[in-house]
Amino acid sequence: MPEPKIESEIMRISWGPQHPMSGQTRILLDTDGEKVHKIIADIGYTHRGIEKVLENRTLIGGIIPIERMNMVDSSNIGIGYVTACDKTYGLEVPERAQWIRSLICEMGRINSHLYAFGLQAEATAYFPAVFLWTTIDREVLLDLFEELTGARWSYNHFLPGGVFKDFPEGFEAKILEAVQYLRRRFKDYWNAMIENPMFEMRCDNVAILEPKDAIRLGATGPVLRGSGIPIDMRKEEPYAAYNSLDWEVITEDACDIMARTKVRFHEIGQSLNMMEQIAKEIPEGETRARFSPFSRAPEGEHITRVENSRGEMSIHMWTDGTTNPYRVKIMPPSLRNMYVFERLAELSEIVVADIPVVVNSIDPWYLDSDR
Amino acid sequence: MSWIIKLLKPIAIVAPYVLRNSQTVAYPTERLIFKDRYRGRHQFFFERCINCSICARVCHSKTITMVEVEGKEKTFPQIDYNTCSFCGYCVEFCPKQALEFTDVIEMAVSDRSELVYSPEQLSIVPKIKDLVPRMKRRVESYLTDKEMKYRKVKDV
Amino acid sequence: MIYTNIALGTASRTGQTLAGIMAWMIEFLTVNSKPILQVLVLPGLAFTLVFALVAVWFERKFLARAMLRVGPYYCGGRAGVLQVFADFIKLFLKEMIIPDSVNWLFFALMPIMVSFVPGLALILIPFDANWVLWDIGSLGLPMFLAIMGIAPLMPIFAGWVSNNKYSFIGAWRVAYMYISGEIPIVICAAAVAIMAGSFNLVKIVEAQSNMIFAIPQFIGFIVFFIGVLIESERTPFDLPVAETELVFGWRTEFSGILFGFTMMAEYVMLQAWSLLFITLYLGGYSGPIIMGNVIGSHIFWLLAKFCAVVVFVILLRCVFPRPRMDQMLKIGWSYLTPLALLNLFIVLGLKMWGVF
Repeated sequence: MPEPKIESEIMRISWGPQHPMSGQTRILLDTDGEKVHKIIADIGYTHRGIEKVLENRTLIGGIIPIERMNMVDSSNIGIGYVTACDKTYGLEVPERAQWIRSLICEMGRINSHLYAFGLQAEATAYFPAVFLWTTIDREVLLDLFEELTGARWSYNHFLPGGVFKDFPEGFEAKILEAVQYLRRRFKDYWNAMIENPMFEMRCDNVAILEPKDAIRLGATGPVLRGSGIPIDMRKEEPYAAYNSLDWEVITEDACDIMARTKVRFHEIGQSLNMMEQIAKEIPEGETRARFSPFSRAPEGEHITRVENSRGEMSIHMWTDGTTNPYRVKIMPPSLRNMYVFERLAELSEIVVADIPVVVNSIDPWYLDSDR
Repeated sequence: MSWIIKLLKPIAIVAPYVLRNSQTVAYPTERLIFKDRYRGRHQFFFERCINCSICARVCHSKTITMVEVEGKEKTFPQIDYNTCSFCGYCVEFCPKQALEFTDVIEMAVSDRSELVYSPEQLSIVPKIKDLVPRMKRRVESYLTDKEMKYRKVKDV
Repeated sequence: MIYTNIALGTASRTGQTLAGIMAWMIEFLTVNSKPILQVLVLPGLAFTLVFALVAVWFERKFLARAMLRVGPYYCGGRAGVLQVFADFIKLFLKEMIIPDSVNWLFFALMPIMVSFVPGLALILIPFDANWVLWDIGSLGLPMFLAIMGIAPLMPIFAGWVSNNKYSFIGAWRVAYMYISGEIPIVICAAAVAIMAGSFNLVKIVEAQSNMIFAIPQFIGFIVFFIGVLIESERTPFDLPVAETELVFGWRTEFSGILFGFTMMAEYVMLQAWSLLFITLYLGGYSGPIIMGNVIGSHIFWLLAKFCAVVVFVILLRCVFPRPRMDQMLKIGWSYLTPLALLNLFIVLGLKMWGVF
């Protein structure tokens, strides 16, 4: 990386992998003490070669490595892959299975947004109150996952043609109880965190991203919706049961960090509404279409786009008639948002003290941007 | 004066949390009861296996290999827990349900070769009390009005 | 004195020195030992060290409760009382890494000074009516502020000597922060001295025997309290040590027992400033005031008020996030300083019209 030129006041800080708050990445900051002149993101620390690994597995065995791309939100990645497999094999998924798939995706979304909330609180040094509360509230969701799928993360509950297993006995009542509990807790979060005057002082009018810049640079997810543009893959190209559920796309107009935090907050509310609808109105039926794990995949090329909690994720799959796919190309949302993050230093004034708050408002997950 | 109320409101919300119960499971004195479908260590049933080796073929990380066992004629699955990802395909696609999940998760060893479980080792499931000698209670979680708590289900 | 006379009477050299030493020892045990005991135990070295240890344990347990978890749990019974001692002993046994390119004498000296210089100011606080270690009379309050004014120099030097970019930024932040916190505090302390009529700390406590100064000087009470948080680098104002941004600010390069000293610095500063805060605004060592009379003055009341103030300061750590540097300067200069001046004018007005 070229060193900065002769201006001797600018020093290059490596907000690097050995840092209490940086995550698994290195961000180089050119700064003169407080103001940041340039940001260079140096990612790639967690590259595992998942796209190559997927070429050596069968189509059904590929679900497992791909869900390891994101731990808190693995179902929103798995569903992209499984929908692509459905299109490849030409399977018709029964309706009850679509609704169960939506349920798992929405629970994953709440999980991920709660974690992002906690990290944002930790970035502003507010960790005693909010960060651990979110961890404890995620326990309620993880217990639900354990009851339905058998694992607390990386659930592997999707199969081409449906889901693995149906609801256990009395599961709908447990979903409703968890939804009521989480709604009561969110009042505390709103009052203690978002209406906190010092949190507002940190987050208002910081790192503003104008709508035209957001579209030009290719932002996605809550970063895009926090600038007022209502694009959500669940409405653009509906998959699973999102056509039959009653929900809205959340946007905010303020374009700063507080807007993105509020977008995530209200999205949790929408997901809770969807969970309640699914628990009450799920249709009866089968949960699996007929499918053999050893069948050969017909030749073809399919693209699927799904809405991860961090943005739009697309999976492009080529199959050539054997049991293994020929090539799988994954475009993660965090990679596109990291590009936006690098340009934020030129678009608005950022000081060094703002960097953790800004990074956590973009909410990258380095494991999925490095694959 | 509304900003004074705005400053004091978070204090009034956060301060009562000091009086609540803590939500920690004091392992190893307490241990959670896992749900029925929990994917822990496998359990193998000799009498149900028909030696079709579907489990070895469907395993995505090539963990299961079929080996000979003393005193028996057919070959049986051996699981290498160094690479097992607990995905559940071998349990799901076995036609006779010869492999099942238990809730044993305490499998720490000092040498990697001890993590390769032969079929005889897979068929024996030790009791939790033998694996965790300091355990005194089994707990499970439940939701109340304000918090999630852990309650004691049984003494051990 | 009798013994010295007898010894001189014997007129032998060793006899004289032995008798002199014996006389000094007896005089020490009967008359002079009280100040030495006070310096060593209370309020002196042992008080500071015990407070630092107890405050660390209490903070860990209290914050853990606010986060809905248990704090130290295994070491020393269920309450984990021995955990702090275990950590302290561990810090002694760790390797002290001194970087190659620094001035090692300053590097090793700075943490020790930063945690013990504020402790010097304790000798000026009255712990009871006749229990002041250094009864300096009417120079009490300015001397205290002078000693605490040296305190910001140590973190700046410590950050500078570390030869590290993060520490350097931390040292600059210390300088900015202390400047903006010091001026409101000095103005509020001046207002208290005006109302009490003297700079003597004992007289200030006695002047509050009708009503504690927190009530008429309510604005000064709040401004001084925020100033105490700024000066002792406590959250929400712990910018120089912002862990999420600059690894550990000016404390980054210290390891081993030097690190232990830098952690202790925070609690020693908090102790010194909150004791001054109680003396100036909450009535020092006097008991509760019922119907215009003070019920009992004893050191117990001072310690009880001290515990209440420290618990409240620790609670504030859970509640508020940390402001940025320019926001902190804006708070200090545009809000605290005008409010302190307003408080001064109110006190001048009350004094001129003979209300107090």
